[in-house]
Amino acid sequence: MHIADGMVSAPVCLAGYGLTGLMTWLSLKQIHRTSEPTQGVPKAALLTSAFFVASLIHIPVPPASVHLVLNGLMGVVLGDYAFPAVLIGLFFQAVMFGHGGLSTLGINAVIMGLPALIAAQIFRRGRWLLRRTPRWGLGCAAFGAGAIALALSVVLFSSIVIMNLPANLDATVERAAILTLGVAHIPLIFLEGIFTALLALFLDRVKPELLKEQT
Amino acid sequence: MGLLSQADIYVRRSSPLHRWEPRYKLMGFFALMLAFANVRDWRLILPMLATITALYRLAHLPLSILWQRLRYPGLILLGLVVALPFVAGETILWQGGGLTLRQEGCLALLLISARFISIMTLGLLLLATTPFVTLMRSLRSLGLPSLFVDMTLLTYRYLFDLGETLHTMQTALRLRGFGQQQRLRLGPLAALAGSLLIRSYEQSEQVYRAMRLRGYGSAQRFSTGTERRSPWHRVGFIAILLTALGLLSANFWLSEL
Repeated sequence: MHIADGMVSAPVCLAGYGLTGLMTWLSLKQIHRTSEPTQGVPKAALLTSAFFVASLIHIPVPPASVHLVLNGLMGVVLGDYAFPAVLIGLFFQAVMFGHGGLSTLGINAVIMGLPALIAAQIFRRGRWLLRRTPRWGLGCAAFGAGAIALALSVVLFSSIVIMNLPANLDATVERAAILTLGVAHIPLIFLEGIFTALLALFLDRVKPELLKEQT
Repeated sequence: MGLLSQADIYVRRSSPLHRWEPRYKLMGFFALMLAFANVRDWRLILPMLATITALYRLAHLPLSILWQRLRYPGLILLGLVVALPFVAGETILWQGGGLTLRQEGCLALLLISARFISIMTLGLLLLATTPFVTLMRSLRSLGLPSLFVDMTLLTYRYLFDLGETLHTMQTALRLRGFGQQQRLRLGPLAALAGSLLIRSYEQSEQVYRAMRLRGYGSAQRFSTGTERRSPWHRVGFIAILLTALGLLSANFWLSEL
């Protein structure tokens, strides 16, 4: 679910880089407000590596297999570091495997990073709303964060790709294509939500400080 | 793990592109990348491919690495745009068996493929002719925040370690019988991913302490490269910039016709 090089025009690439620059600047500004900004760098970097590697785990969905995005959980665990982490992860995916591209790095970072930040808010608020049943609350909040983050990414990706194809598509065809792409991802959205919930419950049991509110 | 480790094999060669000052190379290639992405007229496909072929020849890289680079993402891209010739446009080229081949869709497919090949090749040229650490230093000297550069370099350093850890953990799971049946069992996979996150979190505490002991966070770490450089670095940059401007102007001129 990455936009490849050559799929969108230069103004879209530039707009993507502009938005990514702005969001990275805002994230770094938040990080620099902490008493020791460099302290979180190794943790964020190692967790970025771990998320990158974890997203390579193939989930067998017979007869094929899929891999997860985990951008919702990145938002939850990394807090202010989430957007830079998504950007770095996408950069390595582009240079190592050719997923996405260098010209579309900015727009892909918006597609994956913006939902990660929204997911962090959903998780925080969901957990607070369901605080009377902590385990259920955690599971539901994590499911919502994971599923909604992927759903938002799918919507952004489909809309940007279809609306920027160089050939003039008929409006009905355009709508049908966006809808088809969206519907095709519904099982994956549920899978991502369930996996994120299971992962959050595991982390809560073994290393709860990973899920505590980031500053 | 993928292209970056493959590209490391080629970064020590001595072609004109390898010797080119990384900051000029970065800025020039980025301008060219945007010019390629802006190509919207099929008549510019040939000049675009000619430019990238000339640059590839200058880098003295084997064609096999390019094929490896393009093969897999090319298939994904094709899967996304293969329907274009049948659904986009009005000028009918051929009809038969319930299918209609349209001219505009065919041209769009050709254009997207050419842009994809050109930009991906440019990315490959950048990575296969510049060591990764040098690339990050150049980005730092061009104004990328040091915190972001540190995070990228550390991520790169531990990607391979954690990749190995995952491989070991997956082998251990398989030896215990996991994955024998084609059933969807998310619990053990979530525990696997969770263990990976926890290991990296615990390791990060030690890494930070080690970095502090080595003086991390107290001084400027990268030189900005102020030594005297040959004027050819600038000439190369201007040539690339003019090519990019030429493509942009031609695209504008053709769209006005």
